[in-house]
Parts: sequence; structure tokens; C-alpha cells
Amino acid sequence: MANYQRPQTQRQPLPQHAAERIARMRGGQGQARFFTSDLSVKEFLLVREAGFEPAGLVMGSSIYHVGLQRGAYNQNQELGMLTQALYQARELAMARMEEEAVELGADGVIGVRLKINRHAWGEALVEFVALGTAVFARTPGTWKAPSGAPFSSDLSGQDFWMLLKSGFRPISLVMGNCVYHIAHQSLGGWFKTVGTNCEMPNFTQALYDARELAMERMQYEAQLDGAQGVVGTEVYEHTHGGWDSHVLEFLAIGTSVLPIETHEQPPAPQLVMTVNE
Amino acid sequence: MAFTSDLTVDEVLLIEEVGFEPVDLVMGSSYFHIGWQNAPWTTNMELGDVGRMMHGARRVALDRMMQHAIAAQADGVVGVRLELEREGHNAEFTVIGTAVRRRAGDGVRWRQASGAPFTCDLSGGDFWALVRAGFRPVVFSFGVCVYHVAHQTLGQWFSSVGVNTEMPAFTQGLYDARELAMGRMQWDAQAAGATAGLVGVSIEESSHGWDQHVIEMIAIGTGVAPIEDATHETHEAPRVVIGAQDW
Repeated sequence: MANYQRPQTQRQPLPQHAAERIARMRGGQGQARFFTSDLSVKEFLLVREAGFEPAGLVMGSSIYHVGLQRGAYNQNQELGMLTQALYQARELAMARMEEEAVELGADGVIGVRLKINRHAWGEALVEFVALGTAVFARTPGTWKAPSGAPFSSDLSGQDFWMLLKSGFRPISLVMGNCVYHIAHQSLGGWFKTVGTNCEMPNFTQALYDARELAMERMQYEAQLDGAQGVVGTEVYEHTHGGWDSHVLEFLAIGTSVLPIETHEQPPAPQLVMTVNE
Repeated sequence: MAFTSDLTVDEVLLIEEVGFEPVDLVMGSSYFHIGWQNAPWTTNMELGDVGRMMHGARRVALDRMMQHAIAAQADGVVGVRLELEREGHNAEFTVIGTAVRRRAGDGVRWRQASGAPFTCDLSGGDFWALVRAGFRPVVFSFGVCVYHVAHQTLGQWFSSVGVNTEMPAFTQGLYDARELAMGRMQWDAQAAGATAGLVGVSIEESSHGWDQHVIEMIAIGTGVAPIEDATHETHEAPRVVIGAQDW
């Protein structure tokens, strides 16, 4: 874990157009607040129902040059440099998004999506965009993460409402990744398996290992944040521009949560039958 | 009176439920030639002329749809969609929606500050939910920014080969373009009297057959305002339910 760390991001002033947009949303000095959000109407209503108000759409991005790292032809191994690069790029995008949320005076960000864009003008370039809706509680309370930063989560408005109802609050969007080189088979190995049905322990092991590493790192992040668990974890598999087909990135993303201290019993679910399919 | 609309049966029911009736399917379009603007090879900059054109073409189409809606004596338009079809350097911009009218005849209070019908990209179901929650849609707003992303110099290119590093100039360029598009959408909504905010915002990125380094960012959303009417009926609190069809 030693060489797998969050990048140190210095707080920089927001770019001019971002600062202007945020200032107009924040209001003050005789101006009312004005929110923008990518919440659907239903999400918007449930967020308000949960006691929160949208503060504004927040965003951060980072364009990263992803270089090459060669894996030994017939070895299963992690490509640590690439892992670190892709991790850093995402963290930078998220840190910038968080900065916009802090500027807005928000308690947290929900519905965070991490998008990956590739542009025709740069083959080795990958753009990471983090986009979410900053929210604040109508009545002040402890909603921020233990670190004092606004909470972040990839939960939809519906899931956010459900999570709060069931007595938990989101802490932060946690992730872990692992770029892995999967060994090529030797010619002998290939001859032995032709026409037979059998497991390929090599390949199984490689993909298993890579997923485990990504999930373990995600878990580690959640523990660093002082969370009690992670909900809604998803594991993705990516390959980025120009990579050998034997190189894969595994990415685990979820929302870390803590129990709400003053929570009463969660509501019992009701059974309904809808008439439309 | 007979009406046409592209609403589903469910949507019509929900719109009727909050006191509106569909009137007509309304549409507006415009056909533009997409011109060209030069940008210095190594500079990040907005292409203002192209951007104004891409904005103006959609605005013209939207205004034409609005003329239809006014002629149909509508109080608003729901389900507005913006479409673009490009052939070479020419593009057709189309806006379609369903005009609706307030049954009770108090539609004036639902219109925009200018007296024009409200516009929104909400479905019938979302419209119902929003109105029940005490908000009214005001305006379908959008913001456009066409941006030229700088090319790297040869020296910069050499220094990044084989290295994992952030490219601040590129990051800055696209960040800026998105912020500008979102900021303009916000102005648009506020100017039309959406006092509360914008819901359902999406940001799309496209390159309409330009140089690869030229990108259009468009931000779209629906501006909303609170309903200032003490007698307005709001919905009950949501409950946790388990649907019977999922398992």
C-alpha cells in the first residue's frame, strides 16, 4: 500500500469562469440563491424530502497523459506506474469538484459520476470528468465527512433518500484501481490446451488478483475516511487508448457510509403492484 | 376539441390530473450553414462567432416553436426536445414539444415573466411530480460554448512522451468551455424568471465536422420557480415500497 497514495492536491483558486458561475449560484448581498442540478425531477423532490436543498452543479476535470509501461511478456503483474497515474487523474478531478462544492458552502455532493473522455486530438490523453450536484441541509447538522470536507457519493437522489431513511449517511466516494498485465501463454501451454475443456489457472489468477487489489484499495480509502462500510460498490474493467490487449484496468467505486446517531427506526417497506409494465 | 401530441397515455393522464390539457404538437426549425473561424494554432480560446451562430440557430428554432404555441393559445410547452441533423456544412436545428393549456383559465400565472408560454423538457410524469411538489417549470434553457483547444508545440510533445502527467493546458481549455456553457444556461434561466433554479441539467460535447481541436459544449436544463399560491395542493410524503414485478 506504500506506493498507493492519494495525490497531494494544493488548493488553487478556481478558474475565473467557474468562480463567476459559483458566485451567481451562491447568491448573497441581496441576491437569492439559484441552483443548477443534473438531478431529475424525482430525485430533486426526494432530496428536498430528505431535508436537503440542491446548491448547484459542481464539476472538476483533469486531462492526463498516460504513458507506457511494459509488462514482461509471460508474466502476470501489476503495472504500478499506470495504476498510480489513472488514480491520480481521477483524484485530481474529484478534488476540483470538491473545491467548487466548498465554494458553494455545500454539505456534500450526490450523484457523482466519473466520466472518461478520449479526444481525437490526443491518443495518449485521457480526460477524467467528475460531475455531481452539491447539496446543503436545511437545518444544520453533522453531515460533512470526519475530515471536514463536504461528503461525496455516487448515489442517485432516490438511493440517497433511502440511505438516510435507513439510518446511514454518506461519507465519501471511495475508489481503488489496479492496472494489470495478463501473461501471454507459452507455446507449450497453448498446445496442451487445444481441444480440451479446462480451467486456465493463469488467467483466472490474474483477473482475480487484479480485482482483489482494486477492491482492497477502495476498502482502505474508506477506512482512512473513518467510515463503517461501503455501499453500492461496482467493479469496472477498462482498457485505455493504445494499450496492449493484455493490459486491463480494474476500478472499484462505492460510497462509504456512517450510521446517523439520532436516527429512529427505519420505515417498513410496503408491497405494491403496478399496473404498467 | 381534438388535439395532437407525442405524449403517452400515462403522460396525458398525469398532465390532466394537475389541471392542464394538451393542445397541439408544436415545432420550430431553422437551417443554417456552419461557418468557420480561425484560431491561433497554440492558443486555448473560445470561438465566439461560431458559438453565437450555434446558439442563435437553436434560439430561432425555439422562437418559432413558441410562435406556434402562442397561436394555439397555450400556456406552456412540455417535453421539449432539441435536435440537430447535419449534412456536410449545413445543419437543421429542430425543436419539438407538446403545447398545454390550463383548464381553469388562470394560465397567465403559469407563463414566463414576459407573458410567453412556459417551456420545459419534462415528461408528463416529471411535470406532474414537479407541480405536486409546489414548483412550476418556467423555461427550457441552454448555454453554448464552442472552444478551440490549443495544439501542443513539438517541444511540449517530446517532454510528455512516455510520461504519466497531467496536461494543464488541455484540462484548462475544456474546463473553461464547460463552465462557460453552464454559466450561460444559468443566465438564460434567470432572465426568464426561473427564480428557484435549474433541474435535469445535462452537458453534451460534440464536434460538428470541425477540426478535431474544436469542440462544442452545450448545457441544457429546465428552469423552475416556486408556485406562490396558498391553496396549491402538494403531494404526501413518499413511502418505501417494493414493486411486485421486479422479482
